[in-house]
Amino acid sequence: MIRVGVDVGGTFTDIILERIGAGGEQSVVVTKVSSTPHDQSEGVVQGILNVCKLAGVEPGDIDAVFHGTTVATNIVIERGGARVGMITTRGFRDIMHMGRHKRPHNFSLQFDVPWQSKPLVKRRDRLVVTERILPPDGRIEVPLAEDEVKQAAELFAKRGMDAVIIGFLFSFLNDEHEQRAKEIVSSVLPDTYVCCSSEVVNSIREYERFSSTAMNAYIGPKTSAYLRKLEGRLRAAGVGGIIRIMQSNGGITTVEKSSELPIGLLMSGPAGGVIGGRWTGDNCGKSNIITIDIGGTSADIGVIQDGDLRIKNPRDTEVGLLPVLVPMIDIDAIGAGGGSIAYLDPGGAFRVGPRSAGAVPGPACYGKGGTEPTVTDAQVVLGRLDPEQFLGGDIKIDAALSETAIRDHIAEPLGLSLDDAALGILKIVNNNMALAINANSMAKGVDPRNFTLMGFGGAGPLHAVSLAEAIHAKDIISPVQPGITAATGLLVTDLQYEYTHPLLMVLDNASDADFKIVNDALDGLMEQAHQQLDADGIPREARRFQRIAECRYVGQGFELRAAMPDGTVDAGNAGTIIDSFYDEHKKIYGHAFRDQACELITLRLVATVAVETLALPELANGGRENPDEARLYSRRTVFDDGQAHDAPRYQREKLLAGDRVSGPAVVIQHNSTTIVPPGYVAQVMRFGDILIGRN
Amino acid sequence: MTQEVDPITLQVIGGALHSIADQMGTVLYRMSYSSIIRESQDLGAGLFDRDYNTLCESDSTPMHIGSLPGYLRGIEKSIPLDQWQPGDVVIHNHPYFGASHSPDIAIVMPVFFEDELVGFSANTAHHIDIGAATPGLIMDIPDVYAEGMLLNGIKLFEAGKRNDTMWKYIRDNTRVPSQVMNDLEAQIASAELGVARFQQLMEKYGKATVLRATRQLMDYTENMLRREIAKIPDGEYVAEGFLDDDGRNRGVTLPLKVTVRVAGDAVEVDLTGSSAQVPTAYNVPFEGSTKVACFFAFRALLLDTYTHSEYIPQNEGSFRPVKVTAPLGSIFNPIAPAAAEARFAQIQRIVDLIIKALAPVLPDKCTAGNAAVLSFAAYSGVRESGDYWVFLEVNEAAMGGRPQSDGPDTIEELMRNTRNNPLEDLGMHLPLICDRYEIRDDAAPGAGKFRGGAGVVKSQRFLGPGYMTHEADRHEDIPWGVFGGKPGAGGRVEIRNVHTGEVSQEPAKFSGKLTRAGDVVSYFSPCGGGYGDPLERDPDKVLDDVLDGFITRQHARDDYGVVLEEVDDGYGWKLDLNETRRLRAQLSAQ
Repeated sequence: MIRVGVDVGGTFTDIILERIGAGGEQSVVVTKVSSTPHDQSEGVVQGILNVCKLAGVEPGDIDAVFHGTTVATNIVIERGGARVGMITTRGFRDIMHMGRHKRPHNFSLQFDVPWQSKPLVKRRDRLVVTERILPPDGRIEVPLAEDEVKQAAELFAKRGMDAVIIGFLFSFLNDEHEQRAKEIVSSVLPDTYVCCSSEVVNSIREYERFSSTAMNAYIGPKTSAYLRKLEGRLRAAGVGGIIRIMQSNGGITTVEKSSELPIGLLMSGPAGGVIGGRWTGDNCGKSNIITIDIGGTSADIGVIQDGDLRIKNPRDTEVGLLPVLVPMIDIDAIGAGGGSIAYLDPGGAFRVGPRSAGAVPGPACYGKGGTEPTVTDAQVVLGRLDPEQFLGGDIKIDAALSETAIRDHIAEPLGLSLDDAALGILKIVNNNMALAINANSMAKGVDPRNFTLMGFGGAGPLHAVSLAEAIHAKDIISPVQPGITAATGLLVTDLQYEYTHPLLMVLDNASDADFKIVNDALDGLMEQAHQQLDADGIPREARRFQRIAECRYVGQGFELRAAMPDGTVDAGNAGTIIDSFYDEHKKIYGHAFRDQACELITLRLVATVAVETLALPELANGGRENPDEARLYSRRTVFDDGQAHDAPRYQREKLLAGDRVSGPAVVIQHNSTTIVPPGYVAQVMRFGDILIGRN
Repeated sequence: MTQEVDPITLQVIGGALHSIADQMGTVLYRMSYSSIIRESQDLGAGLFDRDYNTLCESDSTPMHIGSLPGYLRGIEKSIPLDQWQPGDVVIHNHPYFGASHSPDIAIVMPVFFEDELVGFSANTAHHIDIGAATPGLIMDIPDVYAEGMLLNGIKLFEAGKRNDTMWKYIRDNTRVPSQVMNDLEAQIASAELGVARFQQLMEKYGKATVLRATRQLMDYTENMLRREIAKIPDGEYVAEGFLDDDGRNRGVTLPLKVTVRVAGDAVEVDLTGSSAQVPTAYNVPFEGSTKVACFFAFRALLLDTYTHSEYIPQNEGSFRPVKVTAPLGSIFNPIAPAAAEARFAQIQRIVDLIIKALAPVLPDKCTAGNAAVLSFAAYSGVRESGDYWVFLEVNEAAMGGRPQSDGPDTIEELMRNTRNNPLEDLGMHLPLICDRYEIRDDAAPGAGKFRGGAGVVKSQRFLGPGYMTHEADRHEDIPWGVFGGKPGAGGRVEIRNVHTGEVSQEPAKFSGKLTRAGDVVSYFSPCGGGYGDPLERDPDKVLDDVLDGFITRQHARDDYGVVLEEVDDGYGWKLDLNETRRLRAQLSAQ
């Protein structure tokens, strides 16, 4: 069995290959190649071929390729998507132009409104037809003018649209008109991608539903073309096996399903990191983890609670300021990373980021023309990054350039010593990250004191202990391969499909007839799920289902996820849902109400199938204290307390399970450096992850 | 002489304060019930010191930002500093004691640290009904007492113990008790969060350091604004306009005059010459609204967050360089007991006139005339159960053209920045159905090198009999063009009954109007004015606007000198560049 995970980032494409031999002997090989932004599949294929060579296997022997991609997100950000036409209800042509009518900046007159200046569907391509469905029951007030739909479709045919969407008001109550319009459009445009809003997102709120549908169509043709091209390139390179794609919800899916619903891929890139973090936590016996994936220009923050991924509140799921009503893992990105630039603004304030030196020119120490100091330069000046060890010496860095940059731009203007200026840069960037972690955790009912902070991405373990101190996390993990954690996540997650049904039903006084509606809807969702899994050839016993009731108090605007009882829902067990909603509300908002009625808005079914999980070889037991065998040399290193120590360097690949390294120390590996400050001790876990705690 | 906080710690504390205000705002809108708070985010939240300086404020609706110090100073008249106890919760909305207007109720909690009062955690939110003369909104009323409950520095909780009598009194005096009481709960939760987080911050860095840092952060923001003011040539800049009427005396317009005096790095806004106070609710509370509008104008003009990459902390420092003068007894500084609830359209005009006055010296930062209005509609009725339903809707408008870009269409402009209510959500809960929500097609946006924004039309149909109050303006005084741009369009209101076919044109303001089943109330917002000569507009953009239906082909020809020719590509038109050049030459020669 050979499985490969490929995670495409902005700068590097990370590859992990796992092989389990006939006798169960198992090995893991990792590598990276430069990403190929013009066509990600080039880098993906190159990376897979490279990793095969390193592992000594034939590409044809690969059983499965798992892929996390930013292709769909980039199409939205760069606005390089399809030409989409829309057919909508007469009187409501501009729902997507108005959005929620809130402007993106409060204190600005010159702001941009992206949904107006760069619309997913231009106004000229939004055509209205006569039809009217009325709330609250979905009855038809005005029948669909089918001739108008046909005329619109013919016009789109003439215009040569790449895709057509149908979005009618109140279609979440009754999709009859949308479905009929789709039939008509498809008969006129048999080869064009056509989708209805109630198919893409079957939920209340017209702007969010229409915009999500438009985004699905906008990214659809190019995303599926990319996936087909990837498949073609892999086959041409002799790579065998199935191909699976990471989705925003943290599950994997097939190429076919991704092409059908590409909107589910918008967080495909960052999802792998959080899942890799969960799996690493499992390996270390930790189920409450805050992950931070620190790259060159940004950091992604996620939370794992009781071993579960958190799904973002649908209110907050957006890409490029446009709403996306599909479940996404709760990941917050902030503009802080190794390349973040430190500077003094015109008012004299000391700032770090969000401006970044990027990959080009990169930090001053790269010597590629960057003169402004970055976070990486501060690490170099403080002796936390050894120039000759940077990416195993693959990239040459010059510490003198870091010193000059920090001295000229920060230290001298502020009258600080070089060390203090560099420490200041780290303190400010760490504070920015810590505040973002707090916003993603404490503000949502998570108490970091019960959590382990896991820092990964090349720069994660440089910051992890400082961040843990700032948020009062319990302890810290540096994963065995910090640079490749996201790719690892691809190999350890489940196949996953989601289905929803909108209801709007007050649970507290629901009748037997109401419960019948709930149970029938659940049966309908199960049937859809089984059909899909049958088509995938998944055996019945491998299928797992989670039923979720998305609820709110009557009159509230936002739903929370509540757990459902097993089996049939009735008056006897509906209290389980109400109680679960109460607990969730209390956790998220700090308050909950017993005297308010709970309204069920959406039923959601999550169908998962566990895939084989990655099993790393265990390290031999060392059980040593500060093992000399792994020691390289000692060098001046300045820690957060401002004290310089002659801190020993340890080679990570020579550390064994049970080894302990006391701070001050620096643990070095090819793609990452882990800082163990004074007062901390690092313990090597059985698979090579490092757990760091206070001494 | 106290020692300065070092720049690193300063940045760290500044970030923390920003984050606290943000979370206070988030808790408030997520927990609240009424759509005006949870969807529209008509709220503000922040921390304040003992001198009532704003230390940080949530980035929510600008109208609320900068209003809280006025509330705090008003509360001091009832509760002096030495009368606060830990666990107190004070409720306040009195427009003659600092409130922005009476529906914006503030919840204030003291922050104690080491047994000493160090500041306040406070928020404001717009409540949908406080028992005024008409449901939701008011216009034609005699005095401030007709605005509903006046809560003047009342302890809703005393040392952590709730005043149940007061709680019951409020519940009994609103038409929609469940929403109002739950919204108050949300406000209290938000204030509690602010108290706890402010205390944690002082535990971590020490009280003295935190308080010194807040003073330095205020100085920093103040200096950033002063640097920009200093770049404006000293002098007196004047702009004038007028309001439609006071909501009672039809046909009597009300003058507006704004004089901006720039001297060095300070500025004064003098509203002398504007209308005397009016006999209806169409007056503006001075502390909580007039001043806030002036503060906003300079921040948005000079420290525009879109063109400035650095985040400037939102605190008292941005208010200090701006002095505001309005004669007592004028519409912008009324004398009690004049009512002063319906004030939004007027303060929008203050901001817009400040922009107009300064446009000649700030051509790269200004806009052409904005809609500078707010359509605030209160729909209401009585359900079969006997309970009231009340729905407040804010209708967006449009902005004027700008130095580098067109004015945004259908957007919340200037002092407001709420979210609209999903039509589908409303339809599920109210006896009201939306029949139309689109870009206006009966009036073009102001032509210009950068055109004005297109206005909105929204039509709501009453399914049964009800009441309606509408607060707006700007049917008469049209948003202006600037630097050769053309004016936009005024607003209008029309009521059409779907059963009888009767149509009537209504003024922008009306109070407690009885509506019948089938009445469709349509609001057409103003369109923004144009910036720069329309003949200089990129012809491709003119073509785009025709294809997108923002303007007609005739308008393209008449105002922009752009000639189109027919083409059979499914869109209908392409540029005739030769004819366009010829026509433009001819038009510019005129």
